[in-house]
Amino acid sequence: MKLYCLSGHPTLPCNVLKFKSTTIMLDCGLDTTSVLNFLPLPLVHSPRLSKLPGWIPKDGTMNLEKELKECAGRVFVDSQPEFCLPERELLDLSTIDVILISNYHCMMALPYITEHTGFTGTVYATEPTLQIGRLLMEELVNFMERVPKAQSATSWKNKDMQRMLPGPLKDAVDVWTWKRCYGMQEVNSALSRVQLVGYSQKVELFGAVQVSPLSSGYSLGSSNWIIQSHHEKVAYVSGSSLLTTHPQPMDQSSLKNSDVLILTGLTQMPTANPDGMLGEFCSNLAMTIRAGGNVLVPCYSSGVIYDLLECLYQFIDSANLGTTPFYFISPVANSSLEFSQIFAEWLCHNKQSKVYLPEPPFPHAELIQTNKLKHYPSIHGDFSSDFRQPCVVFTGHPSLRFGDVVHFMELWGKSGLNTIIFTEPDFSYLDALAPYQPLAMKCVYCPIDTRLNFHQVAKLLKEVQPLHVVCPEQYTQPPMTQSHRSDLMLELQPPPMPYRRCSVLNLPFRRRYERVYILPELAQSLVPTEVKPGVSIATVSAVLHSKDNKHTLQSVPKPPPVPPTKKRKRVMEEPPVAPKPLLSGAVPLEAFLATLQKHGITEVKVEETADGHILHLQAEDTLIQLEEDGTHIVCDNNEPLRTTLRDLVLRFLQKL
Amino acid sequence: MDEECVSLLPRVCDVLAASGSSLPDDTSLEKLLDWFSAVTKSGVSLLEVSPCLLGFISSVVSSRASESSIISFALKLIGLVAAAEDGFRALQETSVLDLAFDPQHWREEGLWEDPCIRIGWIHGFSTMLQHRQAFSFFVRADSIKPLLQLQTDTSLFVASAASQMLTQVLMFCHPLSSGFNETEVDNKSSSSSITGLKCPNATESDHESAAVVTEILEFLKRRMLPKEPSQLHQSQQILKLLASILSQAGPSLQNKLLLTVGESLEELVASNYSQLTRPLMDVILAGYSSVGGDVKVPDPILSRLLSVMLNQREPPDLIHAAAAFLCSGHDNRIHMEQSAGILLLPVDIITSLTLLEGNFTVKEHQLSMMEQLKNKTSCVSMICISLKYIPKITLMAPDCRPCPPASVVGAVLSLLRLCSGLSPPSVAGCVTVFRNVTGSGKVQKCALEALSALSSSPEVKVMLVEVFTLLIEYLNHPDSDPTVLQKSYQALLKWIGVCSNLSSITNQLKQDLTQVVRKRVCDMRWEVRDSTVEFLGHLAGLPACSTEDGGVCDISQYVLGGCCFTTPLLMEALHDPESYVRASAISALAQAMRNSWRQGAVPTKEQAEIVTQLLEILSQDTEGFARRAVLQFFITWFSSYPSCTSSPLLMQSVRSVLLQGCADLDWEVKVHTLDLAELLMDQAFLGQHGYTKGLESHPAQPHPYAVTAKQAYTLHTHSGTHTLSSDLDGLVKQGLLSVLLSGLFDCDRPVGLKACRLLIRLKDALLLRPQDTTDAGKTDPGLNCELLSQGWAHEIRNVLGMEDRTSGTDAHTVTINVCDLVKCLDLEERLDVLTRSSDHFYNSPRSLLQDILTAGSAHAQQDSQLKEEVIVDCY
Repeated sequence: MKLYCLSGHPTLPCNVLKFKSTTIMLDCGLDTTSVLNFLPLPLVHSPRLSKLPGWIPKDGTMNLEKELKECAGRVFVDSQPEFCLPERELLDLSTIDVILISNYHCMMALPYITEHTGFTGTVYATEPTLQIGRLLMEELVNFMERVPKAQSATSWKNKDMQRMLPGPLKDAVDVWTWKRCYGMQEVNSALSRVQLVGYSQKVELFGAVQVSPLSSGYSLGSSNWIIQSHHEKVAYVSGSSLLTTHPQPMDQSSLKNSDVLILTGLTQMPTANPDGMLGEFCSNLAMTIRAGGNVLVPCYSSGVIYDLLECLYQFIDSANLGTTPFYFISPVANSSLEFSQIFAEWLCHNKQSKVYLPEPPFPHAELIQTNKLKHYPSIHGDFSSDFRQPCVVFTGHPSLRFGDVVHFMELWGKSGLNTIIFTEPDFSYLDALAPYQPLAMKCVYCPIDTRLNFHQVAKLLKEVQPLHVVCPEQYTQPPMTQSHRSDLMLELQPPPMPYRRCSVLNLPFRRRYERVYILPELAQSLVPTEVKPGVSIATVSAVLHSKDNKHTLQSVPKPPPVPPTKKRKRVMEEPPVAPKPLLSGAVPLEAFLATLQKHGITEVKVEETADGHILHLQAEDTLIQLEEDGTHIVCDNNEPLRTTLRDLVLRFLQKL
Repeated sequence: MDEECVSLLPRVCDVLAASGSSLPDDTSLEKLLDWFSAVTKSGVSLLEVSPCLLGFISSVVSSRASESSIISFALKLIGLVAAAEDGFRALQETSVLDLAFDPQHWREEGLWEDPCIRIGWIHGFSTMLQHRQAFSFFVRADSIKPLLQLQTDTSLFVASAASQMLTQVLMFCHPLSSGFNETEVDNKSSSSSITGLKCPNATESDHESAAVVTEILEFLKRRMLPKEPSQLHQSQQILKLLASILSQAGPSLQNKLLLTVGESLEELVASNYSQLTRPLMDVILAGYSSVGGDVKVPDPILSRLLSVMLNQREPPDLIHAAAAFLCSGHDNRIHMEQSAGILLLPVDIITSLTLLEGNFTVKEHQLSMMEQLKNKTSCVSMICISLKYIPKITLMAPDCRPCPPASVVGAVLSLLRLCSGLSPPSVAGCVTVFRNVTGSGKVQKCALEALSALSSSPEVKVMLVEVFTLLIEYLNHPDSDPTVLQKSYQALLKWIGVCSNLSSITNQLKQDLTQVVRKRVCDMRWEVRDSTVEFLGHLAGLPACSTEDGGVCDISQYVLGGCCFTTPLLMEALHDPESYVRASAISALAQAMRNSWRQGAVPTKEQAEIVTQLLEILSQDTEGFARRAVLQFFITWFSSYPSCTSSPLLMQSVRSVLLQGCADLDWEVKVHTLDLAELLMDQAFLGQHGYTKGLESHPAQPHPYAVTAKQAYTLHTHSGTHTLSSDLDGLVKQGLLSVLLSGLFDCDRPVGLKACRLLIRLKDALLLRPQDTTDAGKTDPGLNCELLSQGWAHEIRNVLGMEDRTSGTDAHTVTINVCDLVKCLDLEERLDVLTRSSDHFYNSPRSLLQDILTAGSAHAQQDSQLKEEVIVDCY
């Protein structure tokens, strides 16, 4: 059993598991942090960005002025942003049989894997994962395509050039593999391969293994996966949460007794408690609005935003924000808000029960009804006429490199009254803000990451007791910035197996059993013999039939009636030789010696060995070795004696 | 004891003797006994007043059919009767005493197993032991043996009562003033310390006493050491008893005691039973406390025991022992130093600050303490104890304390930083311990409390900036829970309050504080908003401080920028959905505006707006807290404003407040309304002949449930150029009279009481005024008031019998003269009724006796019904 690790990002994993002749890809997350090296894509022409000076190296040897721009001491690539894809050279992607998706954030690289690689397999995901994942992909494509950039910068990627660049561009890895965003056609084609599954639904893969998604409690339709054969069980834990937010709670008990547990997607902010952060979010928002400023919340169009809106719904009144408009701007804003309301069966119990009242499960419906929350596909169109300040704007993309958020950064960045509140934990807020410096706007960082923290995961693992744990290497040591926090790492016995990008791990367990079915008629023909109370055995003569990794013992077909034909073929048609009987039991020494004596063998020298006894029949110059698992008669050139001795031994053994 | 009760008592005795199961409720017997003791205390002999009791006692004690609760009651009653010598004799003559206090008798009856008999036996005896005769009876009956057995009774109540009685017996044998072996005691000392009665035969009784004392001491010695862990409970009981005796014993008894049990105690101390740490320390400290008079030095045994307790036990026990010693406040330098060191050790280890440099005796425990700190539960518990006593350590004499107070403050700050993960631990060895305190809310709360208390320690003001910085970090921390935030605010207030010079607070810190306050008033959790608003109020209430330029400045002004920062935040909070926050905001506004009121400043437009909002809250808010706070706001304003009548805004709003306040549904709002009315009256009449100020006429009689104002109101009286009539006229126009009269007929007693007292004062002022003015009381139209036909006015009409007179005229309003009105209302009678508690009748002995009789007859009836086998099923 092997695990190929194609991504080094602990929360955007992409691993391939080879297990019992199947090749299963577990998630295909897309690492978008690479876009932080690029200049933002403004929706409307930005004089500031267009006037940024080109970067000139100190020694003036390179001419990258057109590709690289300098802003507040940092260098950015002036080109369409590019993403860092999962490793594609480690194994042939066309051999992948299935892809299991655990949540909509972990499928963004899907088109890169399924398209143009020869992939012919199936993708399994839950319905909300597919639908919301589609929205996020559509949004990404839309963000990129509506501000096309003719220029494609590649010169800076030249190894010799890159080495000379200032950080962090200098330290970026595998820049040649970075790719531009896919198009809608690729998205549609990739998603057409998705087959929907429900929680606990068992899917057979080629008869060899069974895969089954379990609720992971992190987002709508998010799942962990169980991959099991009859005798082995692998658990794949991706983004999971034990907090009570909108999704169905995490199913922990089904993870029990796994041989291997692959653990990814823990919180990226182990020291930031989501409740505390939510509190910070609300109070900073209210504080800014009261002072007459605007609040910008860069966020994904699905996920935590539902919880933020729900929290604000309760908070609005207590903070006297009743008249403040909330805007949600995204090409998929409408679909996202509406989708969330229709996936009732995937929601937590509280929200599910609302559907029967009947009420919309999320209170943002009421916010929309009362005109407190308005959503627009873009800043163009209706929004510009409705726009009223001070206000709160939720919009993407959280990297601040593309999407409508770029416009608001340009618009509000200059005033100290306004605040930008980061809630998504995927990007470093300082890096995100770098191309907007100098910035007067206040900045608040309250990353809300509801995924498992180390304390929770330690408790979980104690409960589910996996034999081995595999995890990204980042989890096996304290965070770099807090090296003293030994509580912020996984401490397990046996220690977890760490992986990094491009690792190939031999998982530490060997398959020992295989299930074989016996057909009823064959079973009927068996004659069991009881060897000890409760244990019976029988010999079986049958034909082993293996198909689709399913093994069946069938009766030996009776030979067809032999037509009386040519003689020479008879040898071939003889029925197979019946197997020799199996022997069991032990030869009792005293009784055996007595029997030997009866048969005239009197001179026997008995020697005790580690495993039994050696009888030396001195007159006959013969040895009999009686051992626990075998009896040997060493008798040269006296076949009748050997046969006699053999028969004497057999008297004491049971035949099956 | 009134006649009626005396006449009821024989029947009650019959009922009780007949059957105890028919009592109206469980407490009846207790109430009856309380009444009997009260009667006895007043000097009345129970047997003389009601001889029937004797018969009752005899019949209960000798009857085999008596209920155990009735027997227990009878035993206690016997004690009460026999506490007086004549009662004792009377009972002895009937030989009731021998039977009643013979445990063997109750055992034979099979009743001794019932704890209520045993407790009756102990209580009866204990009440009786007031004179020598009773004591002799106690000795002759050899009751000491059963009593000692009861000391380890299975019932905790019995065991505890037995312990108390044993102490009492010892004290009786060994009064404080007498020496144990002194035979030449004078009359006074040989007599009971309690009754002062003479002893007829001193030598004999001394002999008896000596025997009893020896028996008790031997018992203590014998039972103190547990032979197996299961006997620890018994040791605990013995130690408790010992502590109780030691705390009351005189020097000679103490000597005797320690000589007898000293060895066992030392063995016990060395045995390291963790559960016995506290009781042992109680014993040692009781011994220490009783050192006094001529004896200056505590017994060497005690000193030795204490040294062992503070040196040779497991760390958690050491901490408990040290805390107990430090708490006792004994002036023993060596042990004080040792205790302080032990208490500082956990903090010293965790923060790695050298608080205990050179204290080698304490440092010996470092390793074992470290081991204990690795366990989360004991770590948190030890640190919390340590933090509780740390402020005390800083108050010790400078040559005695282990380190300067500022270092202690520094250590608490470090600990707080570790708790919230703000700083890394400095020593690798402490990582496990560090994990135990990270994020521990309990440690955070204890540390913040310690920090608050440390503000008043000497030489700590240098730490102000560090404290300020940390507390702001805490206030800013996203994960701080509401209680931690509240305690941070309290600590901040304490530190600001004690530091008269705040010039070390940098502008950056002030800015950080304003920022964090601004954020916290918008917090999601109402508790946090509430504490923030409260903080603003308290800060505004602090006295002035000196600034860097040597000037004097309002603290709130200096730290937060004053009203221009505070008031808008508080005004926002008036709209908070949580009523507690609204109430706190109103109180805080009153605090914030108090200074400007005191200076008599003309109300600003902003203040007028606040008043409008407050009146709105008073009339519309659904929660009582906010409305009460509004009343308090106006009371504060009225009492701090130098010249109320010169502020039209104040007077105008007072009128509306009175009008709305007296119509409120909440009784506390109504009482506050009357408080405001009282201020109005005081202001109008103070200095007038016949008028007394509230506190002078009825001192110290606040209603137990009423919220009392935190500050005494100061009154600004005007120079008395006005006449009483014109003043009263003004008050009537303000609506005062309606407030008082509606209060008088209010269904809530505290409201009625307050209104009645105020009306009496008004009446006194009106009727006792000098008659030199024209007979204005009757002719001045200003002294008239109007009565409507509804509500309280209707009641007044009824009282005055006015229905007939007004039938022909306008039925809705009647004008009546104020003087006539207050005269007719019979206020004194009403006050008398209102002063009594509403259950005064129900609680009277007569009612109790009647209840017992009624229940008895109901029971008898039920019995007869049962006999006739008429069983009615109820569905």
